[in-house]
Amino acid sequence: MTSNAQVGSVSEARGPAPVSVLVVEDDATIRRAVQLALERYGYRVAVAADGLSGLEAFRAGAHDLLILDVMLPELDGIGLCHRIREESPVPVLMMSARGDALDVVAGLEAGADDYVIKPVDTGVMVARIRALLRRATFRPEAEGTAAGKPGRADHILVFGDLSVDTLGMEVRRAGETVSLTPTELRLLLEFAAAPGSVLDRRRLLRDVWDYGWEGDTRVVDLCVLRLRKKIGSGRIETVRGFGYKLVRG
Amino acid sequence: MDVLNPRALRWKIAALAAAACCAVAAVVGFLVHDATRERGLRVGHDRTLTRLIAAEREFSRTGKAPADIDVRTRAELPEPLARDLAERRPETDGGYATWYDVEPPNWYWMWGAVAVGDDQILVVRDDMSTEVRSLQLLDRSIVKSVLAALVFVVPLAALATEPINRRLRHGARTARRIADGDLDARIGPGGRARDEITEMSAAVDDMAGALQRKLENERRFTADVAHELRTPLMGLVTAAGLLPDDDEATGLVRDRLRALNALVEDLLEISRLDAGAERARLDPVPLGELVADVVRRTGTDTRVAVGAAEVVETDPRRVERIVVNLVTNAHRHGAAPVEVTVTGARIAVRDHGPGFPPDLLERGPQRFRTGASERGRGHGLGLTVAQGQSEVLGARLTFANAPGGGALATLDLAPDPA
Repeated sequence: MTSNAQVGSVSEARGPAPVSVLVVEDDATIRRAVQLALERYGYRVAVAADGLSGLEAFRAGAHDLLILDVMLPELDGIGLCHRIREESPVPVLMMSARGDALDVVAGLEAGADDYVIKPVDTGVMVARIRALLRRATFRPEAEGTAAGKPGRADHILVFGDLSVDTLGMEVRRAGETVSLTPTELRLLLEFAAAPGSVLDRRRLLRDVWDYGWEGDTRVVDLCVLRLRKKIGSGRIETVRGFGYKLVRG
Repeated sequence: MDVLNPRALRWKIAALAAAACCAVAAVVGFLVHDATRERGLRVGHDRTLTRLIAAEREFSRTGKAPADIDVRTRAELPEPLARDLAERRPETDGGYATWYDVEPPNWYWMWGAVAVGDDQILVVRDDMSTEVRSLQLLDRSIVKSVLAALVFVVPLAALATEPINRRLRHGARTARRIADGDLDARIGPGGRARDEITEMSAAVDDMAGALQRKLENERRFTADVAHELRTPLMGLVTAAGLLPDDDEATGLVRDRLRALNALVEDLLEISRLDAGAERARLDPVPLGELVADVVRRTGTDTRVAVGAAEVVETDPRRVERIVVNLVTNAHRHGAAPVEVTVTGARIAVRDHGPGFPPDLLERGPQRFRTGASERGRGHGLGLTVAQGQSEVLGARLTFANAPGGGALATLDLAPDPA
């Protein structure tokens, strides 16, 4: 499954077919209550009670978004997220009840796009889901935020061995296609729109993740870390105490 | 550590070596100087006496003194020479008097005198400046060799302390890393040296180990409790969200659920703060903007005044927790109007109620104690959390009663280091 196919399926799902969410949660009450609550918001919800059946359910159907609990029997949420990331860039929202740094960091390192701490209000969870889905269907020319207009040659931005096609939403490194999750792609576009200038973590958290002051900047740090692994570690530089910047050449 | 820091151990040891070097040189130099001076005097003395004896012999043979010898009367003699001559007895010591006439910088004469007749005295004057010059040269060369030795000794001593310094710096760096939250950091045995530093390193490592075990147990416990409490709460919160909105019972359930949720979160937060597991994540934050936004989202009727607010290097989520708790507390226990003022790096929350109880002013926030009953009910954890979070931020949270009545809580994000 390629990045484009996955992103494409999300945009189609925003048409007549409802968005499909897979919830993997071992607590029966939470599983059922979240399912009912999300269904009220119009999502199609599939559920799984443990990591392995979650992986099966993920492979069986095309889901637009996954909500994973961290502590799961058989295969925990972090392991599950790793396995899913090997196959797909589908948006992943982690749900942790422990809320300590290790859980949060491990989840984000495994490739989760965002996390919430239980108990989470349904309204908050839906806001997170919407922000994630917006990213998955994001087109810079449609939103008019990033450089490049459709049909013009300058929609391909080149930074050293990295090229970003803002029209085809494709990223290549030394000619090879790089598979990015929607969040990573959105983050990269944010950097590509302002190469060489420092973007602070708070601003990235607001523009990419739709967070206010309550957001956790570790989400940004760990996503940048994952992005670096894919596009080359020197491409995005850390500016201590401020944020990050994309290196032009 | 700065190489130029004059108080660094390296320079202290170098200074000690230099001082020892100088002390040895001073003692040796003094002894050599003294011996050489003695010898010079003796040589001059002997030379003068030799000339004097020769002159005396010549005088007794010819009745005339040689050309370079004066014949003077007693009154013409310099005072000290005359005195010395008066004490001499020809029968015991030949009656030769001497006097060393010194007037630095360049007047060095050895006088010699002997009586040869009634009020006829042969006087010899011998130049001693050669001896004095060579003594000065000796002194100078001693000083020079000491300086040359220092040129080698000081850097050598500074370098010789390097292994010790390196071990101490490594120890300090490790201790600081532990303090910054890297609990796995250890100094380690390091090298073959078995000295006090090794002993101290081992002690610090033991301490770090004990601290780590304790902290990790505490953290695990808190995380486990969090999981066990939040999991049923999550089910409850989500399920309560499914209840019909227009039902009075729904309102009651949701209200109590919110209270229970807040209590659990406060307790978990306090135990995380107590475990010392919390670390601030600093970002540059425009304080006025943050506070205005945070207060707006509390949904309370609170006035915000922002005057000359700064961009502060702080953890906005913790500032948010503190401000929300202070504002909520002001509304719950104080009275309207509640005012939040931001000036510089300082946030003040003021209400117009009865003010903080004396107990709180005196001892700070206490868990599960709200003091006076007129401040209404509440579990008293909000202010404890605010206090703990402000400590994590390195800020200062003070509670006072405003002059015109009402409680005044002030959070200073950049307190004086005092």
